[in-house]
Amino acid sequence: MELVIMQLVNGLQLGAIYALMALGYTMVYGILKLINFAHGDLLMIGAYSAYFLVLAEIPIGIAFVAAMAICGASAMLIDKLAYKPLRSQPRLKALITAMGVSLLIENGSRMIPFIGPNFRRFPDVVELKYFHVTGNIVLTNIQLMNLGLALFLMVVLTLVIRRTKIGIAMRAVSLDQKAARLMGINVENVIAVTFAMGGALAGTAGVMTAITYPRLSPYMGIMPGLKAFVAAVFGGIGSVPGAMIGGILMGVVETAATAWHSQIAEGVFFVLLLVVLLFRPFGLMGKSSREKV
Amino acid sequence: MGSKNSLSKGNKWLLTAAAATLSVIAVDRLGLASSYVMFILMVGLCNVVLTVSLNLITGVTGQFSLGHAGFMAVGAYLSAYLSKMVFGLSSSGSGPASSLLFFACLLCGAALAAGVAFLLGGIILRLTGDYLCIATLGFNQIVVVALNNLEIVGGSRGFYGIPKLSTLTGLLILTWFAVIVISRYVNSVKGRNCEAILGDETAAESLGVDSFKVKLHSFVTGCFFAALAGGMLIHLLQLAHPTQYTFIKSIEILLMVVVGGMGNVAGSVISGMVLTILPEALRFSQDLRLVLYPLILIIFISRDPSRYFYKFFPARTAGGGK
Amino acid sequence: MALLSVSGLGIQFGGLKAVEDFSLSMDPGEIVAIIGPNGAGKTTVFNLVTGIYKPSSGRVLLDDEDMVGKKASQIANLGMVRTFQNIRLFKDLSVRKNVEIALHRLCGYSLLDAVVRSARYREDEREIREKALEILSIFQLEDKASEKAKNLPYGQQRKLEIARALALSPKILLLDEPAAGMNQNEIISLAGLIRFVREQFSLSIILIEHQMGLVMSLSERIVVMNYGRIISQGTPENVRNDPKVIEAYLGRRRTA
Repeated sequence: MELVIMQLVNGLQLGAIYALMALGYTMVYGILKLINFAHGDLLMIGAYSAYFLVLAEIPIGIAFVAAMAICGASAMLIDKLAYKPLRSQPRLKALITAMGVSLLIENGSRMIPFIGPNFRRFPDVVELKYFHVTGNIVLTNIQLMNLGLALFLMVVLTLVIRRTKIGIAMRAVSLDQKAARLMGINVENVIAVTFAMGGALAGTAGVMTAITYPRLSPYMGIMPGLKAFVAAVFGGIGSVPGAMIGGILMGVVETAATAWHSQIAEGVFFVLLLVVLLFRPFGLMGKSSREKV
Repeated sequence: MGSKNSLSKGNKWLLTAAAATLSVIAVDRLGLASSYVMFILMVGLCNVVLTVSLNLITGVTGQFSLGHAGFMAVGAYLSAYLSKMVFGLSSSGSGPASSLLFFACLLCGAALAAGVAFLLGGIILRLTGDYLCIATLGFNQIVVVALNNLEIVGGSRGFYGIPKLSTLTGLLILTWFAVIVISRYVNSVKGRNCEAILGDETAAESLGVDSFKVKLHSFVTGCFFAALAGGMLIHLLQLAHPTQYTFIKSIEILLMVVVGGMGNVAGSVISGMVLTILPEALRFSQDLRLVLYPLILIIFISRDPSRYFYKFFPARTAGGGK
Repeated sequence: MALLSVSGLGIQFGGLKAVEDFSLSMDPGEIVAIIGPNGAGKTTVFNLVTGIYKPSSGRVLLDDEDMVGKKASQIANLGMVRTFQNIRLFKDLSVRKNVEIALHRLCGYSLLDAVVRSARYREDEREIREKALEILSIFQLEDKASEKAKNLPYGQQRKLEIARALALSPKILLLDEPAAGMNQNEIISLAGLIRFVREQFSLSIILIEHQMGLVMSLSERIVVMNYGRIISQGTPENVRNDPKVIEAYLGRRRTA
C-alpha cells in the first residue's frame, strides 16, 4: 500500500512534467491550429540552459528562471522565423516545417561541440532530503518541489487566462482570429505571448527533468514531447484543463505500467488513447468543432 | 483515355519511366555501378512504393496518417518470419520454388497489414484531421512496442539473418505494379471519390459519396502496399529492428510525399528516389548531413517544389484540371 | 401520394430549439419556397431533411420511405440533393470533375477493371465524360470544363453547383439561396433556369431564398419560418398579405 502511494507520487511528478509540456502544445494549437513538433525540443533547451548556468556557478533558483526565459524567447524566435511566414499557407506546410525545425534543433545541438552527442550529467545542485510521512511512506524534497512548482504554475496560468487582459485576448484569438482582429486585438502579439508562455512552461519542465532525471542528451525532448502531445490530444487538444488532466494521467499510467510490466509500459497509454478516441472523438474535454453547414 | 492532351502527358511519363527502368537494368547487367549504388537504388524503389502508397491515403484522400511505418513493419516482420522460420528460405537458394514462396510470404505480410488497416480504420477514420494523425501515431507506437516484446522475432535485440530474397527485378516489378495500380486507382471513380472527400467532405456526402467507405478503402489499399514495400526492404537489408519503424520513419515517408506533391503520383516516384539518394550523397559529412537535410526540407516546403515539377513534368495528378 | 412528406420535424442544440414542429408535404413537380428572416432555421431544415443533422423528432418520408437516421450519402442517392448557401464546390478540381464525381453511380466497374483498363472501365468512363459535358452544356459551362472550379466567376460557380446536383438525377432538388450575390439580370436568368430545370429533369424543387421577386414569381407555394417554426404557408398571394409574415419581416407597427 505504501508502495502504491509512493509510486503514485512518482507518477504525479512525471505527470506534472508532461502536463507542463502538454499545456504548451495545447495553447499553441488553440491559437494557431498548429501542432508544434518542435515543442519537445524546448524541454531540451531548458535543461541544457540550466546545465550551463549551473556549471557557471549560478544558483539553481536563478538558473531555473533564466532557463524559463531562454525557452520562452526561443519559442518566440522559432515562431517568428519558421511559422510566421507560413501563416496564410495550408496548415500542412507549417506542420512539416515544425517537424523540420525539430530535427534541425536536435541534430544541430548534437553538432555543437560543447553540447555534443554524448550524454551529460546534470550536477546535483539540490541536496536530496527525505521526508517520512506516516508509516513507511518516504517522499523526497525534489518530488515535493516539482509537484509544488507545477501546481503553482498551472494555477498562475489558469488565472492569467481567466482574469487578465492578455488571457482574454488569447481566448478570443483561439475562438475566432478574424473577429479578434476586428476588435482591435493585435493577433501577432497574442501569438508571440502564447509561444513565450508555452516555451517558459517547457523550460520549467526541462529543468525539472534535468534535476529529477539528470541525464541530458540532445534528443531528450523527443519522447516526453511525444507523450505530452498525446496527453494533450487525449485531454482534448485546445483545452487547457484537458492538457493538465491528460498530462498527469499520462505520468501516472506510465509509472504504473512501468512498475507492473516495464516492457509494454510505452504502449499502454497509446492503447488508452485509441480507446478514448473511440468514444470521445475530440478527446476527454475537447469541444467538437461543429462546422456550420 | 480522354482528350488528346492527357494522352500525351500520360505517355510522356510512361516513356520516361520505361527508359529509366531499362537503363537501370542495363547498368545492373553490365556491372557498371558498384553494388553499393545498386543497393541504394533498390532501397529507393522501396521508398517509392512507400511514398506512392502514403500519397494515396494522405495526398489524394486527405487522411493524415503518421502510422505508415507501422504497416510497413507488419509486412516486413511477418514476411521475414515466414521466409526465415517457417519456410526456411535462404539467400543462396534461387529458382522458381523459392521465388514463389517468397512471393507468398510477401503476400501474407501484406494481407495481415490490410486486415489490421481495415480494423484500425474502422475505429479511427471517423476522427477528424489532427485526432486522426495522433491516433495513427499511437498505432505506430503500439506496433513498435509489440515488436520490442515479440521474442520470436528478436524483440528489442532485433531480427537477424533474414535471407536476401529481394532482387532488382523483383523490386522493379513491385514498383511498377504499385505505381500503376495507384495511379489507375486515382484515375478511376474511386480516385475521384477520394478527391471529392479531400475537397469537401460534406459536399461529397451530399452527392451520395459514402465518405467512410471511401476513406477505408484507400487506407487499406495504401497500407497493403506499405507492407509489400516493408517485406521487400527487410529481405534486402537482411535485418530489422523495431526502432527502424517508429513514427519518425512515418514522418520521413510523409516528407517524401509532401516534397513530391500531395496527390501527385508521379511526383512521389521522383521524390521517393531523390530523397533516398540525397542523404547518401550528403554522406561526406555525417553530422553536417543531419543538419543539412532538415534545412533543405524546410526551405523546400515553404517554396512548394511541386511548382517546379509542374513546369517540366505536367503531372498526371489528382486534382489538376484536365 | 405525396413525394415528400415531412412531419413534426425538430432539432435542439443544447437549450435552443433551432427547428420545431416543421411539416411539409410535396407532390412531384412542385416548386416550394421557404422564406423567413435570417436565423429562422431554414438551412437547418435542409440539413435535417438531407441527413446532415439528425432530428430529435419528426419524420421525413420520401416516396413513403423514412429518411430519418439514414446517412447523408444514402439520402442523396435516394433522390434528395441540395446545394449550399456558401457554394461548396470542389474548388481545386476541374469543372468537369465536379460533375463527374456526381455521376459516380454510373460506374459499375471494379478496381480490377480500372487497373487493367478493361472495356467495362473505358465504356463507363466515356459515358461519364459525355454525360458530364452534356450537363455542363445545358448550363453553358462546357467551354470551362477544364478550368478549376475556384477560377469561375461567382454566378457560374452557382450554376455549376446546381449542375452538379442535377447530375445525380434527384427527385427533389433543394436550393439554398441560389440567388445570393446576384444582380437583377442574373436573377431573371436564374428564374428561367430553375423553371427549365424543373421541366427538363421533371423534378420538384424546394427553394430557400431572400430575393422576394424570385420567390414570388417561381413558387407555387411558400412556407414562412421564424424562430424555428412555420408561421405561415400558402400561395404567394396569401403569404404576402399575411399579417404574421409582415410582422416577422417588418416588425409590429407601434402605435405612439
